[in-house]
Amino acid sequence: MSLKWRIAIIFGLIAASFWTLFPRTVVERVKRNGEFVYDTVRRVPLKRGLDLQGGMHLALEVDESKGLVADKSKAIDNALKVVRNRIDEFGVSEPVVQKAGNDRIIVELPGIDDPRRAQDVVQKSAFLEFQITDETQALEKALPRLDALLKGKTVAAAVATPGAKKDTTASSAGLQSLFIADTSKKADSAKTDSAKAAAGTVGGPGAFSKLVQQGRMPGEYYVAQTDVGTMTQYLSLPEVAAAMPPGKVLRWSSDTVSLGGRIYRGLYVLDAKPIITGEFLTDAKPNTSPTEGNLVQFTMNNEGARRFRTETGRHIKDYMAIVLDQRVIGQPPVIQGAIGQYGQITMGGKDLQAAQDLALVLRAGSLPVPLKVADVRVIGASLGQDSIHKSITAGVIAIALVVFIMLFYYRFSGALAVAALVLYILYTLAALAGFQAVLTLPGLAGFVLSIGIAVDANVLIFERIREELAHGKTVRTAIDEGFRHAMSAIVDSNVSTALTAAVLYQYGTGPVRGFAVTLLAGIAASMITSIFVVRTFYMIWLNRSRDAQTSLSI
Amino acid sequence: MLRILHDTNYDFIRWWKVMAAITIAFIVLGLGSLAIKPLNLSIEFTGGTLVQLEFTQPPDVGVIRSTLDQAGIHGAEIQQFGTNREFTVRAQDPAAVAAQSKGAEGVAVTIERVLKQKFGDSNLRVARTEGVGPRVGDELKRGAIIAILLSFLITLVYLSIRFEWRFATAAVIATSHDVFTTIAFLKLMHLEISLTVVAGLLTVLGYSLNDTIIIFDRVRENLRKGRKETLYETLNRSINETLPRSILTHATVLAATLSLLFFAGEVIRPFAWVMAFGIITGTFSSIYVAAPVLLWIERKWPRQTGARQTSSTATPTSRTRRSTATATR
Repeated sequence: MSLKWRIAIIFGLIAASFWTLFPRTVVERVKRNGEFVYDTVRRVPLKRGLDLQGGMHLALEVDESKGLVADKSKAIDNALKVVRNRIDEFGVSEPVVQKAGNDRIIVELPGIDDPRRAQDVVQKSAFLEFQITDETQALEKALPRLDALLKGKTVAAAVATPGAKKDTTASSAGLQSLFIADTSKKADSAKTDSAKAAAGTVGGPGAFSKLVQQGRMPGEYYVAQTDVGTMTQYLSLPEVAAAMPPGKVLRWSSDTVSLGGRIYRGLYVLDAKPIITGEFLTDAKPNTSPTEGNLVQFTMNNEGARRFRTETGRHIKDYMAIVLDQRVIGQPPVIQGAIGQYGQITMGGKDLQAAQDLALVLRAGSLPVPLKVADVRVIGASLGQDSIHKSITAGVIAIALVVFIMLFYYRFSGALAVAALVLYILYTLAALAGFQAVLTLPGLAGFVLSIGIAVDANVLIFERIREELAHGKTVRTAIDEGFRHAMSAIVDSNVSTALTAAVLYQYGTGPVRGFAVTLLAGIAASMITSIFVVRTFYMIWLNRSRDAQTSLSI
Repeated sequence: MLRILHDTNYDFIRWWKVMAAITIAFIVLGLGSLAIKPLNLSIEFTGGTLVQLEFTQPPDVGVIRSTLDQAGIHGAEIQQFGTNREFTVRAQDPAAVAAQSKGAEGVAVTIERVLKQKFGDSNLRVARTEGVGPRVGDELKRGAIIAILLSFLITLVYLSIRFEWRFATAAVIATSHDVFTTIAFLKLMHLEISLTVVAGLLTVLGYSLNDTIIIFDRVRENLRKGRKETLYETLNRSINETLPRSILTHATVLAATLSLLFFAGEVIRPFAWVMAFGIITGTFSSIYVAAPVLLWIERKWPRQTGARQTSSTATPTSRTRRSTATATR
């Protein structure tokens, strides 16, 4: 390879590293005045692990103290969605919610300052209510009033609240759902809608009424999925809330329906007072009946049975919405007759899976299985800061010592190795940023350590060159031979270390994984710098100073 | 040109019996004391609760202990962590671990509450808490052991391909020796074994292996030259030839390790200790474990290349290099 190409590659790598490490603006969820908002942040794209930025790590397991769970893996899959939605609702920047192994959920919440609340949010069992859908067309009656209100109000409201802030109010209200799988999409749609709102396209005549369509049963309405964000926003306006029909509440459905090629979300007007809440429910199980298809049978305790009997007796032929954490589950079934201790919900042609899911929800709140905390770690933000400072101090001192040793022992060649070491640090950090690796405290320690190890390849090469010079070879030949002979040792030792690091990565968790990644990035970078870069330096030197070929400072 | 231990001709391997006795004594001492007191495993492995506290004033440890005792948290280990205002409280006893299995944070909350009552809300801050259920700990233990064994296996295979099985086996035995000495060291120093320390142990193994490979690489090269000398002599020659490299690399790695040990803070310190010890044991095992084991294997299962069979009478390495004269400028 010609010298020009080598130099081009080195500079190319430097440019790429700078580009990777250059602070860039990213849209992130950040905390402003105690509230989470989407905002643009300018930062170096190196992710810090929980142990460096402070935060909370939770491992959740299926709690089997209340009964065995047959298919834990599947139960965890279901619980994962619920937990993820709740975490979104909780509002944290860059949360991690993932399945670990077969039976565990890992939740990482950076920068959390109230671990108790976070844990409660994750573990709470949801609030279940049975509410009767509105029979009085209350919303229709209120529509003219709402339209008039919005005509005067929306524009002002859209100006008053900045776009970013409105996003979160809209999305967090929308995210109270426990059953919407894809929340990010929803947040996005909310965002585009609010952008529309800011542009002043709403607030015209019939702003409210044009968004809603009559559904198939009393109290049921449809809102196009694209308008859900706008509608949520309207509903969050205090004026709108005040103008709502008294004694009624509006609740979104957990499901969407497809009508004429468009996706709609149900919006239900319900009697505000629930006829009964989930606290009286003792059991629910799916079943299939030959005449009614799939259904869910549930059991109330004595007090619940008494209340339920009187309430349902009063509402025969009405529709009863099953509301979980303020979200209507499925389509409200019609009440056939007074229900007491034992009730059933027919699934209306849906499959047994749907019945199983609903039974789970009724039984265990929104979580399909009760979860218990297997592992919790809370690291204060200041401790993380402290760790970073100390690691940087240690790193700077390590670099200074290594530079001193190399310069003292190898003089000019040592200087080349030091220049390569600078590139090593740059390349390693860039590789970490490029692969979106998470920097952890052990990772930082590993990085500091790797500075000492990184020069090993150079030491091997330099010692080899010295030997060749001692054999009476010319400088040019000695350098060639030195690199050639040292190569096998460098490759073998680095590959075996890389293999160990790969094992660590595979079997490690959290911080140790960060360590393995740093180690791997370091090995790759040190191979490049000590072999390729230093070689190129020598070539430049040999090319430029003809007289130097008779002696080499090494 | 500055040279350290250049062109030496020490008979390193001659001392292998003495060295073997020393290292075996060290391992027996370390592992033997396990009978008296078990390894100091972190709560990541045992399950339990750790709370790291920062006080505004240096507190009385006795008061902390009695406060915790009154709250029903018995046998908690209270340790100074860096300065005399920072402490860790570890509640690890199995009964407590079992009792809190309903919610692993329970104990941490209790500790924080009673201590804040005692010392005042503003006088103490919780910097970090960890609560680990017993099952997680077991899994981590298994994971760590699998990681170490698997890394051995992979190394064995890789080196068998790159060198041959005799070298690979000797290298892996030397590396396993380091596992035992490091565990003995951890025991004797009463260092807490956390996940980070396990990562440190694996780094030590990698480093030690590196060292062995560097020497074996030289052995491989010297064998190819087909000198008339025994493997014993070749090993000694190779160790001597790689000595300057070893010294230099150990110096730079030690520099990095010491800066970690002294400046990187309390959390990293056990890791740095392991690494510092690892430099010593890694170097030692490359010379005094890997080489004698290779010799032993060679004697049991000799290779077929006959070049060195007759050379037992050859004069010990008499090298005729005139390097120092030309090299110094």
